[in-house]
Amino acid sequence: MNLQLTLAARYLWGRKLRSFLTTLAIVIGVMVIMGTGIYMPTFMDAFNKSILSASGQTDVMITHKTGEAFSVSVLNRVKTVDGIRVIAGAIDRPVALPPNFYGRNSTVSGFAIVGVDPNVAPFLHDYQITQGRFLKQGDGNVAVISQRLADSLNVKLGDALRVPTTEGVVKLTIVGLMPGRALVGNEQVLITLSQAQKLLDMSGRINVIEANLTTTDKAQSEAIVNQIKAQLGDNYTLGGLTSGSEFLGAMQMAQVMFSMFGFFTLLMGGFIIFNTFRTIVAERRHDIGMLRAIGASRGTIIGLVLAEGLVQGVVGTTIGLALGYLFGMGFTGLAAPMMKQFMNMTISAVIVEPSLVVVSVALGVGVTLFAGLLPAFTASRVTPIEALRPSIGVTIQRVGRIGAIVGAVLIAIALVGLLSGSFELIALGGMLFLVGLVLVAPVLVKPFANAFGVLTALIFAREGTSELAQGNLTRQPGRAAITASATMIGLAIVVGIGGMMFSLSDTITGLFQKSLGSDYLLLPPSVAIWKGDIGAGQGLANKIRSINGVGAVSTLRYAQSYIQTATVKGAGETAIAVLGIDPVEYPKIASLEFQKGNQQDAFAALGRAERNAIVNGVLAAQANLKVGDLIPLSTPEGQQEYRIIAIGGDVLSMKINTVYVSQAVMREDFRKSEDIFYQINLAPGANPATVEQWLNAIVDDYPQFRLVVGREYLAEFRQQYDAIYGGFYFLLGILAFPSLIAILNTLAIGVIERTREIGMLRAIGATRRQVWRTIVAEALLLSALGTAFGILGGLYLSYVIVQGMSASGIFKMAYSFPLTGVLAATAVGLIFGVIAALFPARQASQMEIIKALRYE
Amino acid sequence: MPLIQAENLTKVYGTGETAVTALDHVNVRVELGEFVAVMGPSGCGKSTLLHLLGGLDRPTDGSVSVDGQPLAKLSDDALSKLRRRKIGFVFQFFNLIPILSSIENAALPLLLDSVSPTRAKQKAADWLTKVGLGARLGNRPDQLSAGQQQRVAIARALITDPVLVLADEPTGNLDTKSSDEIAALLQQVAKEWGRSVLMVTHDPRIAAYAERIVLMRDGKIVEDKRNAKAEG
Repeated sequence: MNLQLTLAARYLWGRKLRSFLTTLAIVIGVMVIMGTGIYMPTFMDAFNKSILSASGQTDVMITHKTGEAFSVSVLNRVKTVDGIRVIAGAIDRPVALPPNFYGRNSTVSGFAIVGVDPNVAPFLHDYQITQGRFLKQGDGNVAVISQRLADSLNVKLGDALRVPTTEGVVKLTIVGLMPGRALVGNEQVLITLSQAQKLLDMSGRINVIEANLTTTDKAQSEAIVNQIKAQLGDNYTLGGLTSGSEFLGAMQMAQVMFSMFGFFTLLMGGFIIFNTFRTIVAERRHDIGMLRAIGASRGTIIGLVLAEGLVQGVVGTTIGLALGYLFGMGFTGLAAPMMKQFMNMTISAVIVEPSLVVVSVALGVGVTLFAGLLPAFTASRVTPIEALRPSIGVTIQRVGRIGAIVGAVLIAIALVGLLSGSFELIALGGMLFLVGLVLVAPVLVKPFANAFGVLTALIFAREGTSELAQGNLTRQPGRAAITASATMIGLAIVVGIGGMMFSLSDTITGLFQKSLGSDYLLLPPSVAIWKGDIGAGQGLANKIRSINGVGAVSTLRYAQSYIQTATVKGAGETAIAVLGIDPVEYPKIASLEFQKGNQQDAFAALGRAERNAIVNGVLAAQANLKVGDLIPLSTPEGQQEYRIIAIGGDVLSMKINTVYVSQAVMREDFRKSEDIFYQINLAPGANPATVEQWLNAIVDDYPQFRLVVGREYLAEFRQQYDAIYGGFYFLLGILAFPSLIAILNTLAIGVIERTREIGMLRAIGATRRQVWRTIVAEALLLSALGTAFGILGGLYLSYVIVQGMSASGIFKMAYSFPLTGVLAATAVGLIFGVIAALFPARQASQMEIIKALRYE
Repeated sequence: MPLIQAENLTKVYGTGETAVTALDHVNVRVELGEFVAVMGPSGCGKSTLLHLLGGLDRPTDGSVSVDGQPLAKLSDDALSKLRRRKIGFVFQFFNLIPILSSIENAALPLLLDSVSPTRAKQKAADWLTKVGLGARLGNRPDQLSAGQQQRVAIARALITDPVLVLADEPTGNLDTKSSDEIAALLQQVAKEWGRSVLMVTHDPRIAAYAERIVLMRDGKIVEDKRNAKAEG
């Protein structure tokens, strides 16, 4: 192996440019995987710190599986279990704060309001009071907070702390300070349980029970826990508080998408390396033959090629990891202001999970070795006699017809899949279409080169360079096809995803106007991830309605739930966001986009005193739900069955499993009457300025809400959407970049390989300019081939994605032809072709004739 | 027992109407320490004979034994090992690895045989010095003349102490002076260092350095004579 590594290193060093270009493909692939892989854990960390509470320090912690509050009577049921030393019910409610709630310089974006029983809590937790006192029974608006939170907010003992509650902003007097919690970002504001129930509209309810046991023995503890479970049934969780798992699902979907980007980039890298190794083996037939003649076994030759791949894989992966880390930091840095503004999340540190590094390394090195495998076996079949034959220069490659036939069959199957209307077949067809194009490509090189050769002939008239370029391309159709395939995959994804986003943008804008088109909105700090939002009681809506000039007011209420679903991994629980709407007020202001059922019947059904529900497309697709089905929702009052009356959703809940129920039913089943989102329309002829003035005055008492003019919010939303688009296009750009390397690589290899030939051309009178133009023409033909295939594949992909989304029932989308994307891809493809040609063309044209003729 | 013993060696390329008989029932023996030149016009089968004797190709019919080992029974790996340890090759186009220095090129067969790099390089340096390139150890092929490159190839062929050196037109790419030097060196390989040398050449002047000259035509040996001048 030592010999192989030495030779590999020398060969790589001997062809620095080629080694650099090939390795660059791996660098970019690993960089994208690593960079995008950093995003998920980093944002999840921010999410946890901003919104979720940490588990307590008690032996047992009981929450309802939905995460919702439950009756205090549950506490009494647990108390009957033997072996519990101390037990108490509490309210632990995360509070997402609106931006600048504590002033511009404040770094506090959230905390938890924790209502505890002052008599029992000190026996459950070790509250070390450093200043002042702990809470006592009968305390009103007083709080105990940590020294760190006090420092962050610049308050001290005796000062008032403003906190948002459902009754508006309440000032709590700080009566005690304790040391900061170990976990930064999960600060608590301790108040008495009775006060918490009052301020958070949770009368007679708690959302967590904490207990310490009489034993520390593991087996005995487990026995007690099992008794508690038996006492409470399946609806309760023993452990930590449930998180916003419905949001987690959406984040994971994004992560899968990003990983796909990285994978495709590496795939292109694989094509580039495969191409390079094939050329290397062809170039070194003499060396390999000699090695075989002097006794190298086939295994040694395979090891030699793979060692070269290994060196490149390791070097490329190492650099890719480093750049990926920087890319990840940059990406999260760019996203941070947006996350802060729209989701109220503070990103504190970039998280790199060890598994990400392992996967990146495995893929980076693995793809390189895999790409080198076939050329390595080809090399091992070189006979020792090759060493004794004189060099015959570049050979003319035959085109494999079998591959082309298989490719054509795959494309035909893909088209059948598209016509089938089945989501699975359409999705499978998308992949088959791309694979089919890759296989068909070699056969199309010659006719394509001839057709486009007419165009290049016009550009390079009377010089004969166009014919030469065509000839260069068609004598190695396999290599040209692989290069074109790498370009194709890059551009196909750019056009495909770009096209899908174009269609999505049109659809979403319409949906936005439909569901959020009111004159005014009252927005909580975190829109769509409602869990951390503190809403307001009925009083606020009434106050707004009383304003002269307000025509209609509609509110949203939120509760958490879950359903049992069968997945491929077996039965599981799917988290669901339940949104309560007023079926009379809501249609006056907004509507849902209905996929099944209609607005009139759906809202009429919601208005009846029955458990009726509208489910959104994502949930219907995931849980295979149809209109008329009964959906069993877990509620704090036990499992309740809701009849599905329609399938539809609003723009904010597009990616989150959501069920819409009437507010009356929600109050009954979930005990929730807290409004978290308001939509307001002006009465006909009302003066907007006056109404706005009144609204502002009312909202001053509820600073957890932000008053936004409807059309401004639409603009804001579009801005946010465009920012996300921007990020996507940036990634797409990165994805297109390897295709530039692919063309550059092939051309550079072609020039190296044809050195003697170029020397001969110069010797018989070709000018430097003619040589330069030959290479540029070749590049143009190559990139045109890749671009044409890329656009074809991309259009198909985008159509497949849009049709697939509609067929899956997740989202109804209309296909919009991405003309801009097609034009951009054409321009990018051809410009890349010319850029890629510049260096090899210069290298070829500057060659010294004698040296080139002697080149081995 | 002769070092090389080939009996009824036949090689046919292609099949049916396109079949070409490159070697036609050739019998040849080479003794240890003998310097044999194989001559003949282009296409007479001399290179094919060398390929078969060196285990680079398999005969259509007949048998070859090298140092008592019948090649037909050897697997590809065993053949590789035999070439590595018992046979040295010298090619017309030198076939040096362009990215390696003289000493590294010469050391290659030992490195392939898992000899430690230090020992391999030491031995390569010794052989390069013996072939007159002691001052050029660190030079890459493109920094050497054609004659010097062929000397490196000869050092590489000898480094494993093979019993047999097969040279295919070793002077075909050299000028007259270098050709004479290389031929004299091969003569030294046989006479002084005791290896058998079988050299294919079309140049009678170079063949004259050998102690035995085999003439071929149309795939057959037509003459096999001692060269008294060289023997003397």
